[in-house]
Amino acid sequence: MTTQRAEAASGPAIDIRFGQVGLIQVLIWTTNPGAILDELTGRVATAPKFFQRTAVSIDLGPLGREPSVEEMQGVLDAVRRAGMCPVGLASGAAVAPALSRPLDLPLLPPFREFQPPAEVGARTRREEPRPEPQPEAGVLAQLHPQPVRSGQRVYARGRDLVVTATVGAGAELIADGCVHVYGALRGRAVAGARGETGARVFCQDFHAELVSIAGVFRVFETLPPDLAGKPVQAWLDGDALRFERLGA
Amino acid sequence: MTEIIVVTSGKGGVGKTTTSASMACGLARRGKRVAVIDFDIGLRNLDLIMGCERRVVYDFVNVINGDCALKQALIKDKRLETLHVLAASQTRDKDALTEDGVRRVLDGLIADAFDYIICDSPAGIEKGAHLAMYFADRAVVVVNPEVSSVRDSDRILGLLASKTHRSVNGNGGVKEHLLLTRYNPRRVANGEMMSVEDVKEILGLDVIGVVPESPDVLSASNAGVPVILSETSDAAAAYEDAVARLLGEELPLRFLEEPKRGFFARMFGG
Ligand SMILES: Nc1ncnc2c1ncn2[C@@H]1O[C@H](COP(=O)(O)OP(=O)(O)OP(=O)(O)O)[C@@H](O)[C@H]1O
Ligand SMILES: [Mg+2]
Repeated sequence: MTTQRAEAASGPAIDIRFGQVGLIQVLIWTTNPGAILDELTGRVATAPKFFQRTAVSIDLGPLGREPSVEEMQGVLDAVRRAGMCPVGLASGAAVAPALSRPLDLPLLPPFREFQPPAEVGARTRREEPRPEPQPEAGVLAQLHPQPVRSGQRVYARGRDLVVTATVGAGAELIADGCVHVYGALRGRAVAGARGETGARVFCQDFHAELVSIAGVFRVFETLPPDLAGKPVQAWLDGDALRFERLGA
Repeated sequence: MTEIIVVTSGKGGVGKTTTSASMACGLARRGKRVAVIDFDIGLRNLDLIMGCERRVVYDFVNVINGDCALKQALIKDKRLETLHVLAASQTRDKDALTEDGVRRVLDGLIADAFDYIICDSPAGIEKGAHLAMYFADRAVVVVNPEVSSVRDSDRILGLLASKTHRSVNGNGGVKEHLLLTRYNPRRVANGEMMSVEDVKEILGLDVIGVVPESPDVLSASNAGVPVILSETSDAAAAYEDAVARLLGEELPLRFLEEPKRGFFARMFGG
């Protein structure tokens, strides 16, 4: 008893903080667990350090119908077996609420609301929506003059992020607009964090671990020699992430 | 004015305790009043390296818990009269440290007009390491020239910039220094280890010292004599330089190249 009281007196039992965390979205086109497991294990294997035990949200948008609880249990099982940890459900339509309780997963807002592709049934994802408005004209970029160290995360909400120092391996830069690094980029850069497909990543000295634009990302387990240590920009060309040496 | 200096690294076994002991001795040898505190509760070894393990009666946790007065727990060094050691407890666990308790001990040392308080941090980023750095004015980040140590140091530098009393209260932040140790010029030349320049560039900080890999460190710690006191050792000279730089002197870095082998050594091979 006395120890409990001493503990209670020494401070609050918990703190509640509101924080922004990056979350990987798994958009499903099918509820076939075998097909999902096959594709996921393939992708996880390409970047195991990045995907293993990582939290993911399951987006039902592409499915275009309401799956049953049993179907979804199969999906979740496949995702877990691939090594990821589902932490929520997302869906643009009103399907997910009915699933949330039986699956014991919270509902999360969809990242970029999924819109069905133009040709019905075809698995093309060309026509990406642009739901987020461009950052307002005249909004200054967020300036970060200090180094961003391993384990730190800097988020520029609704604007560009400009870092004028080095970004360490394991550090994370996130911007709703573009990310600019006037130093070495050894960590992760996430531009267009709310879906702005026109966002870009620019850096002076490229050693990035990951670059993501509007959710399309590439993990660099090894750096392409033509980019390593060079000034580089990255942008989204349809569904493909492109990289190019600046001033070459 | 008392200055609190944390010796930290993130990664374990890189040379924090060796550095804490030598820098504390170096400062005391220049007449400064120095207290060096072992924050590695449960794994105390600063007292061994300082050669005072048999004189530990009360420790850091005893002072925090009010079992004894601060003065009773401070062990006076037998070689340098202005040097004092506050040992860690071997029997408690790290939860015995509290922010308030650490603050009280540091305030007691400040009231006692110490010039420097050196905090020897445990490895990791948990409570002990957090409290060792929390009240610091300066930090000596100890790093070995290899990738994982550099990565952990980057992480620690991030915490120094965000999770310390000075950073939280906007008092200009903690002044950061880099100390490279276990530097082996031959392995650097072979590309097996990172160079001083590589480490400086990745961490974006200047180095306050480069201590070569040296067998003298082990023999000194076995003898309970901080290596800076081993007169003929390169490691001692390197630590002495680091202390001078800490006090604001500008000295060129030494021991970055492999010592040239003398004529006889070459003649007789080996
Ligand atoms: N310059 C050096 N040359 C050779 N050996 C060294 C050198 N510096 C430290 N060592 C050795 O490395 C080992 C670890 O040193 P030390 O205890 O100082 O590290 P630490 O960072 O305090 O470790 P921990 O994280 O466990 O507290 C010891 O065996 C020590 O003798
Ligand atoms: Mg130690």
